Amino acid sequence: MSLSFTELVGLELAKQALLLLAVNPALAGVAIAAAVGSGKSTLARAFAALLPSGTPFVELPVNVTEDRLLGGLDLEATLAAGRRVIERGLLARAHGGVLYVDGLNLLDSDVVARLLGVMADGVVRVEREGLSDVHPARFVLVGTYDPADGEVRRGLLDRLGLIVPFAPQTDERLRAEVVRRNMSASGSGATNAAFEDDATEMLRAMIADARERLPGVRIEEEQIRALIQTALSLGVEGNRADGFAVQAALAKAALDGCSAVDDDDLRLAVRLVLLPRATRMPEAEDRREADDHPQTRERGDEEEGDESNAAPEPESQQIEDLLLSAAEAELPENLLDLPFAMQRRGKSGSRGMALNSRRGRFVRAVEGDPRGNRIALLPTLLAAAPWQKLRMKNEELRKGKRILNSRFSILSSDIRVKRFRDKAGMLYIFVVDASGSMAINRMREAKGAVVRLLQDAYVHRDQVGLIAFRGRQAQVLLAPSQSVERAKRELDVLPTGGGTPLASALLTAWQMAQQARERGISQATLVLMTDGRGNVPLQVENGEAPPAAQAQKAQIQAELQKLAALICADRINAIVIDTQADYLSRGEAPKLAEWLGGRYIYLPNAKAEQIAKAVS
Amino acid sequence: MPTTVVRSSILDGRQNGKAPLPTTVNYPFTAIVGQEEMKLCLLLNVIDPRIGGVMIMGHRGTGKSTAVRALADVLPMITRVAGDPYNRETVEEGDLPGLGHRKRERIPVPVVDLPLGATEDRVCGTIDIEAALTQGVKRFEPGLLAQANRGFLYIDEVNLLDDHLVDVLLDVAASGWNVVEREGISVRHPARFVLVGSGNPEEGELRPQLLDRFGLHARIVTITDIEQRMEIVRRRRAFDADPLAFLAAWEPQQRALRRRIVAAQKHVAEVEMPDDALMFAARLCMQLGVDGHRGELTLARAACALAAFEGRQRVTADDVKRIAVPALRHRLRRDPLETTDAGERIAQAMEKI
Repeated sequence: MSLSFTELVGLELAKQALLLLAVNPALAGVAIAAAVGSGKSTLARAFAALLPSGTPFVELPVNVTEDRLLGGLDLEATLAAGRRVIERGLLARAHGGVLYVDGLNLLDSDVVARLLGVMADGVVRVEREGLSDVHPARFVLVGTYDPADGEVRRGLLDRLGLIVPFAPQTDERLRAEVVRRNMSASGSGATNAAFEDDATEMLRAMIADARERLPGVRIEEEQIRALIQTALSLGVEGNRADGFAVQAALAKAALDGCSAVDDDDLRLAVRLVLLPRATRMPEAEDRREADDHPQTRERGDEEEGDESNAAPEPESQQIEDLLLSAAEAELPENLLDLPFAMQRRGKSGSRGMALNSRRGRFVRAVEGDPRGNRIALLPTLLAAAPWQKLRMKNEELRKGKRILNSRFSILSSDIRVKRFRDKAGMLYIFVVDASGSMAINRMREAKGAVVRLLQDAYVHRDQVGLIAFRGRQAQVLLAPSQSVERAKRELDVLPTGGGTPLASALLTAWQMAQQARERGISQATLVLMTDGRGNVPLQVENGEAPPAAQAQKAQIQAELQKLAALICADRINAIVIDTQADYLSRGEAPKLAEWLGGRYIYLPNAKAEQIAKAVS
Repeated sequence: MPTTVVRSSILDGRQNGKAPLPTTVNYPFTAIVGQEEMKLCLLLNVIDPRIGGVMIMGHRGTGKSTAVRALADVLPMITRVAGDPYNRETVEEGDLPGLGHRKRERIPVPVVDLPLGATEDRVCGTIDIEAALTQGVKRFEPGLLAQANRGFLYIDEVNLLDDHLVDVLLDVAASGWNVVEREGISVRHPARFVLVGSGNPEEGELRPQLLDRFGLHARIVTITDIEQRMEIVRRRRAFDADPLAFLAAWEPQQRALRRRIVAAQKHVAEVEMPDDALMFAARLCMQLGVDGHRGELTLARAACALAAFEGRQRVTADDVKRIAVPALRHRLRRDPLETTDAGERIAQAMEKI
């Protein structure tokens, strides 16, 4: 026996969100972030019971294949009927109902892309294996995920109106209640059953009532304006959220049995729509601006809303202030905990994914050469089946000159081979400072780390490149996937000491990552071993006269900052290993790590072992 | 913004399959608020398809797909041989048996969607399975490229498209012909289309070869003007509440735009590009160090289309300026130390000339 919607304790915000969605499908969907065992999936299933009977509730497994998702040829029916019969996919089956995904962040990027397309159009377009079909698929999406398993693709998250951010369950009484209810559900909770059935019945009635009320609910222009201003203050990307916020407020009002939106409704809309999409804290200026213009406020009071292009109207300003302060109270201490505010770059551990022909998860079968690929037997038979009659005729024409000595003819054009999706290899770029006194030690340990990583690389299909810098510019000692032995030799004879052309090193590393990207290695990690004290500008390479010391220093800093920003923007992971021996004179390397948006590790006497560990 | 489906309310308990097939209604092109660069790029390609397509990159939720789908409703009609699957204007005798004698018909310029999950055989065309199954005969069944001939081919999330499909598209786009060899059949048919792609740069990189193929590159950003955003919400709500009434209300604007496009198409060939405008375009490309001549060519064609759209006979340097950013922003060399946005660099270069 499973728990009903009302029985579930905790996840109050998630419940609110689901109710709003049930009332107003224009909200498109709900994403719920919660830890394992918080009851999120139970909640989603209990939600199904609140919907009118007959509403489809389709669960999408995270490892779904494309043909299961979109539909494909139904071989058996096709052969039996002598005409193409399409077996529709899960998305089509969810039409008019709910599509539920447990593990929204575990969906394959291909699946997410298809899902987004279908959600945008409201139809499934099948254009595969000789089939062409368009059928309706309008559904709302309910997705749950555990943030510990990774992020949800932002494109998908953005399409869902309501987002319930992660909130750790800390209330002990709540936890106790969860356990109690669960036990009574699995044990002899029969006494409660009747009561809970009633509660579910009541909720259903409430939802039905609210749905009827919804089209008549009013929202004032000032209220819409306040929502949009709040979205702007929170740095919400795109214009889609505006509409969702309005729809959420309308749904809340309808659910409360009201015919007009009030402040509480707006607040909930901010909480479930705008706040989770925040990319910045509302700045003090946003607020101050309102206080700086008391005249506007007074004037607005007199001539109400007859000019639309003037400064924000007072009423909406007041509402916005209210919403912003409510938002501020809800904002997590660390804004980066919000899904849209996270840095726009690959986090360590999230490798690129690539289709390949050898390993990983089987995604699809494609036409291809069986040599060096694994043949997908069923898709091959499927591809050959429709042509049998035709080929038989051809064979007869050839008068006994049989092409194949079998009753089932398979030609090379039928062969389908498997394509797998796998973690793509990663490129590690070691950039080692060969200047100064620590250089010899650094080089030795870097070499050890490189060799160690190369040993692992065989398993992970990773590649390692090595760049050293000293004197006037950086030098590539080991291009990715070249001989390790050579790198070792080069490292052994590399002289140390001299200037620190750090900018040149960053530029060289960036170029290496670019070249790798062109070869299909999309994810690169930069491991920079230095004290961060660059003292040779890039321009020296071009043979310009060196400027005055002070100006040169500023120039170097500017160069480093620009290059670091570029590396950061290209989503190249960075790890700065600070080798500055004197703990107190650190400062340059942490700054560099910050510019690179990367990790900072202080390892003055870094050992190969430690480095390799820190990197992988 | 999604396409709205008339009277298909979700969660209303209607059984799957029993629900009436919804009619899809596109949001009207003329009712799209802001995003002028994107709209202009699309329209210029309608006026002169030789401009070479548009790539639209930008934030999610800014109405990229809405605009492309909406475009279909303001496109003029074309004439084709009745029933020709390749939308050809004339068919040579014996090319497709029976077709040569048919009448002509007027159809709207096709806008074909290439979904991400499409397989190669459906894109390029293949043998008709049904005919093979039931009659044991070989018959070519044209694919999406055939449908898109003389029209638009739209790929949403183009940066996520499979590499092998990208290769096919590039081949066909370059030659204008689609060639299919299967089961002993060899078919070659015209496939000239305007490629329109859209994507979110955050979702994945676009292959440089593909980027080059697009004549224009439009960027769209989140609208930050409150009044405009209010208007977006207002119109969207009105559209969702009653799509047909909304369409009716916008029909005059739609009709006016259609008329303008038809007039511009007629006159674009006669638009003159005086030497000073041409020189300006050439200098701009020199200044920016744009490789090859595709930059100048696109600038010239787009400027002519712009003049035609505005009912003028002569291109001015101002026309070139107005389309310089979308025509060149994807053709600049990437300088690692350059942090200025491509658009700004082009604007700066124009100031210098």
